[in-house]
Amino acid sequence: MTASIESLPIASDRAQRAGERYTGMILLAPTMIIMTVVGLFPLLHSLYMSITGYRPADPDKFQGFVGLGNYADALADAQFLHSILLTLLFTVLSVGLSLTFAILLALLFNLRLRGFTVLRTIIIVPMLITPIAVGITWRIMMMPDLGVLNYVLSLAGIPPQPWAGEKASAMASMVLVDVWQWTPFMFLIIFAGLSALPKSPFEAAAIDGASPIQTFFMVTLPMLRPVIVIASLLRIVDAIRTYDTVYIITRGGPDFATDLLSVYLARVNFRFFNLGYGAALSWITLLIILTVVLIFVKYTGFMRMVNEKEAR
Amino acid sequence: MSSSTAPRGSLFSGIGYYLLALISTAFFAFPIVWMTLSSLKSDVDISAYPPKWIFSPTLESFRKLFTELNAMDALINSAFIVCLATLFAMIAGTLAAYGLARFDVKNKNFIAFEVLSIRMLPPMVSVIPLFIIAKQLGIFDTPWLLIAVYTLNGLPFVVWVMRVFIQEIPQSIEEAALIDGCSRFECFWRVTLPLLLPGLAATMVIIFMFAWNEFLLASILTSSEARTLPVIAASSIKAKAISWGLGSAAGVLMSLPVVVLVLLMQKYLVRGLTLGAVKG
Repeated sequence: MTASIESLPIASDRAQRAGERYTGMILLAPTMIIMTVVGLFPLLHSLYMSITGYRPADPDKFQGFVGLGNYADALADAQFLHSILLTLLFTVLSVGLSLTFAILLALLFNLRLRGFTVLRTIIIVPMLITPIAVGITWRIMMMPDLGVLNYVLSLAGIPPQPWAGEKASAMASMVLVDVWQWTPFMFLIIFAGLSALPKSPFEAAAIDGASPIQTFFMVTLPMLRPVIVIASLLRIVDAIRTYDTVYIITRGGPDFATDLLSVYLARVNFRFFNLGYGAALSWITLLIILTVVLIFVKYTGFMRMVNEKEAR
Repeated sequence: MSSSTAPRGSLFSGIGYYLLALISTAFFAFPIVWMTLSSLKSDVDISAYPPKWIFSPTLESFRKLFTELNAMDALINSAFIVCLATLFAMIAGTLAAYGLARFDVKNKNFIAFEVLSIRMLPPMVSVIPLFIIAKQLGIFDTPWLLIAVYTLNGLPFVVWVMRVFIQEIPQSIEEAALIDGCSRFECFWRVTLPLLLPGLAATMVIIFMFAWNEFLLASILTSSEARTLPVIAASSIKAKAISWGLGSAAGVLMSLPVVVLVLLMQKYLVRGLTLGAVKG
């Protein structure tokens, strides 16, 4: 570890590092061990379960090896496909809407009028609230008869809404809750991105006589792209596995209108204890998320950004 | 950039902007205000219609939270589990980040991506195997199981964010220390680590937040002894009915620590939340 001074010219840090060939590995070891034991091992266990008929609650049924049977069943499971579609709809709506609001908010707050800093701090609070608490609060507020939301609507002369209580509006209500909680997250990131943009392109656009709308679409938005993509990626990953708020507010109902993937998976696993089948469904979910993420990472160069910094 | 997106000359547009900003702030603040008000209402006030804005506040719901739902045990569990998991993730993750940033490691990108993929993993995949394994090992419903899981979940944040922070410290500072006769360890402990403190603090707050707020894993991997606050709070909800005051009080109690902590540490929040990719 301690090299003598003569053997250590400044330029040969690589040689110095070569002498520490194992140090890097040793530093990585605790992380790799935790990842293997707590992460990889359960994952492989789940993969194994997914090719068995394991269901501890029905000892009469076949528990052994079923090959890809569970996966074949999953593809024919209308309830599962319904959940996938609902989850994708939920994700697109929730991420799309919160992204739009976040960009508008970021533009507004970038005017940096007096007092905006305080308001900005208040706006980011929803993303810090425990999702279970968010679910409880919105469920109380959305009560059709006694809830404060319908009271506020009645003040404006709007008839009371069933919110999460009816099939037609349940999905929209869950999207509303998600947009409320996570727009602040998008806003925070996009605002930071907006603040870091260089000034000169905007001055150039102003000199060229671009209207504010032209400037936004031709200058601001393209320059914000990396930030927007990263914020969306993180949100998409989380939106696909949304569970807590739906569990508290609707539990997938009414009539499966908000039966997102994670809620359906929880039912298969924890209510029916159909664990082999549940594992197969989880793995399909994992593959869906991985596909989305890989496309995004490739498309944005998320890895490249960090690696470039290192190659100084 | 600050003045170039929109003209802010006229008084009317200025008022318009303030109105817009106030309305959007109200939208995001209202549910939190309502949760707080509900937690301070008596059972009679809370179910009044039209809803009461002015009432005599009472701590009755909070008292019930501690007497009926054992919130004290859950609070202690949450604090113990989340603090230890945060500590372990910070130590393991920072070491790994230092290794990735400063040493030649084979398959560096692959390892980094592997760590990142933990962030993408749906908890639903591993929760059942964890449950089965924990039952066999006899650690089900103990804090240690959740500590292990939350440590894992914190790692991608720590490794990725700290890697960026470490990369931003010029290597020449460390080289100077090495030439002056510091060992690698001294060099890290005395030179690099102090420079990393802000980054460490920010990362810590973020993984604390995610672990503190986690519900799904906690609800399956505990049954009575190791229950955390979100699990207790969720138990105030039945499929058909909800104990309003109790639920709101639980919401306030568990959200408060995170809100305070994060608002104190706002500076590096963006960097941490985006795993180092966006500067705040």
